[in-house]
Amino acid sequence: MAKKLKGPQMILANYLDDGRVVFFTEAGGWSASPTEAAYAEEDAADALLAEANKSTASNLIVGAELIGATITDGKPFPSHMKHVMQAKGPSVRLDLGYQVSTDWEAR
Amino acid sequence: MYAYDAYDHALVKSRVAEFRDQVERRVKGELTEEEFRPLRLMNGLYLQLHAYMLRVAVPYGTMSADQMRRLAHVARKYDKGYGHFTTRQNIQYNWPKLSETPDILDELAEVEMHAIQTSGNCIRNVTTDQFAGATADEVADPRPYAELLRQWSTFHPEFSFLPRKFKFAITGAATDRAAVKWHDIGLIVKKNDAGEIGFEVLVGGGMGRTPVIGKTIREFLPEADFLSYQEAILRVYNEHGRRDNKYKARIKILVEAMGVEEFQRQVEEEWQRIKHIPIDVPAEEIARINAFFTPPPLPVLDDNVPSVDDLARKNFVFASWLKNNTNPHKVPGHVNVTISLKPHGGIPGDATDAQMDLVAALADEYSQSEIRVSHEQNLILPHVAKKDLAAIWTDLDEAGLGTANVGLLTDMIACPGLDYCALANARSIPIAQAITKRFDDMKRLQDIGPLKVKMSGCINSCGHHHAGHIGILGVDRKGEESYQLLLGGSGAEDASKAAILGPGFNEHDIVDALEKVVAVYLGEREEGEEFLATYRRVGQQVFKEAVYDAA
Repeated sequence: MAKKLKGPQMILANYLDDGRVVFFTEAGGWSASPTEAAYAEEDAADALLAEANKSTASNLIVGAELIGATITDGKPFPSHMKHVMQAKGPSVRLDLGYQVSTDWEAR
Repeated sequence: MYAYDAYDHALVKSRVAEFRDQVERRVKGELTEEEFRPLRLMNGLYLQLHAYMLRVAVPYGTMSADQMRRLAHVARKYDKGYGHFTTRQNIQYNWPKLSETPDILDELAEVEMHAIQTSGNCIRNVTTDQFAGATADEVADPRPYAELLRQWSTFHPEFSFLPRKFKFAITGAATDRAAVKWHDIGLIVKKNDAGEIGFEVLVGGGMGRTPVIGKTIREFLPEADFLSYQEAILRVYNEHGRRDNKYKARIKILVEAMGVEEFQRQVEEEWQRIKHIPIDVPAEEIARINAFFTPPPLPVLDDNVPSVDDLARKNFVFASWLKNNTNPHKVPGHVNVTISLKPHGGIPGDATDAQMDLVAALADEYSQSEIRVSHEQNLILPHVAKKDLAAIWTDLDEAGLGTANVGLLTDMIACPGLDYCALANARSIPIAQAITKRFDDMKRLQDIGPLKVKMSGCINSCGHHHAGHIGILGVDRKGEESYQLLLGGSGAEDASKAAILGPGFNEHDIVDALEKVVAVYLGEREEGEEFLATYRRVGQQVFKEAVYDAA
């Protein structure tokens, strides 16, 4: 069992088909842009995960997990470097990943 | 090279068809991720940080030009125009789509390649000397035995769910370029006084969080008993290896816990019990497999080639390349050429589709259509006439593949690290890039001499940091990347574990720390003494003082 996170959290997952990283949004969808993600704390975060996992059940995404978020001007961004990497793409290939644009396709 | 028979073709094709069905069922939701995960892993498909990653086996690091061209094609058509060659002599693609992986595997099957057993708790791709069958210093070509192991271990029903993954390495040369002492089973091909082939068998080597150097449990295993003895080792491991804790599940832990003598006794006992079962292949089958590895009929040529010498006199980089990137061949007038995938400032082990195509074309023209992958993440043209070296280097250099650093400090091993890998705690590639940029001067590199720097982005040690003359381990220190420096390891026949020097550094200071280590070596070395020898002679303390006191 992963350690319970404290503070604001958001949900990161991978699309089942191409594996690209997406974040669960306020509207109940998924976005490559972390700043569009929904965030919550404590029990509300668990409720958010339960909501997000409906997409797991419908085979849209895999591995939905709560991750720590830093909130700037009301918008969340992953706080751990691993999730920052996932949000942007490889730091050694700036031509690849969501750092290029959020329209960026996995291929 | 080994060529598939009808049985091999059918086996691989049916596996792809089976996986295609599994993928379809997963996409439709008939399989959950929990159910599907072990199935995709058995077919080399991981889910990494940004996307899926497909690991394709290059059995014992040997492939044809056609196979390399197919790898380039896969990179172009299904991925993002590049692939990453690994310390397991395999290639990884970083961006395939799940739904397209069966097509990739079908295309690979057409050229006798697959991703079977490149993951999972089974016997993985057998690795070997990248110069196997082509080097002047070998007793016998180890690849026929690696191929035997491949056939024996593929879909072995008893060994498909071992306590943990299992890695073989085999060498036929006294100079160990395959790190055999660092593998679950290490094999050294030997000849006895009667000229018969046999194997020294080592068990229980491994890196990871508990680095252990393998121990010899048999000095000379006759060729005729080759497979039954491996089977006995695997049976003892499969029965007694721990399944309750994945960090204690590798054979190295079992051998340590049991004691090597007791482990050896149990293997011997098991072997006597199962020996009568026809596990070992008859001599005719060994001869049949051997025939695939018959050395190409190369003409004996003059070792002195004036045109090559002329260019070397005029061009320092070419002269360095000649010195560092070529290795003596069995046949006079020939060499093995190592193509460095370590351009200074580049990503260790990465090759673009165009580079792969070029290497394939060069192999067709100059190297009997054969290519090797080394565990040090380079590519090899194994049968090159010396007279062709200038032409080859010119083509390589134009394509960014002419770096003359093989065996030198910048020929670094580095794992993908946190830039790609879901297990990593820290990035590896940017550190490798910073180091290779810092030591970009060829004259300086040449002066420093042979030095193996190996870097991993987590304790799992894919980057072999325990076996680095200088090792670097990336860790997560309170959410920040931190890099530990280790000194004195070796992956060669004089295998040793590198020792941690002291507290870690941030990503900038690690490069300075490494430079200080090199400076101590340059100050302490005796005439002609390589880094590792100096370290072993003077000990850790002098390095520690220089790195930490001045900090």
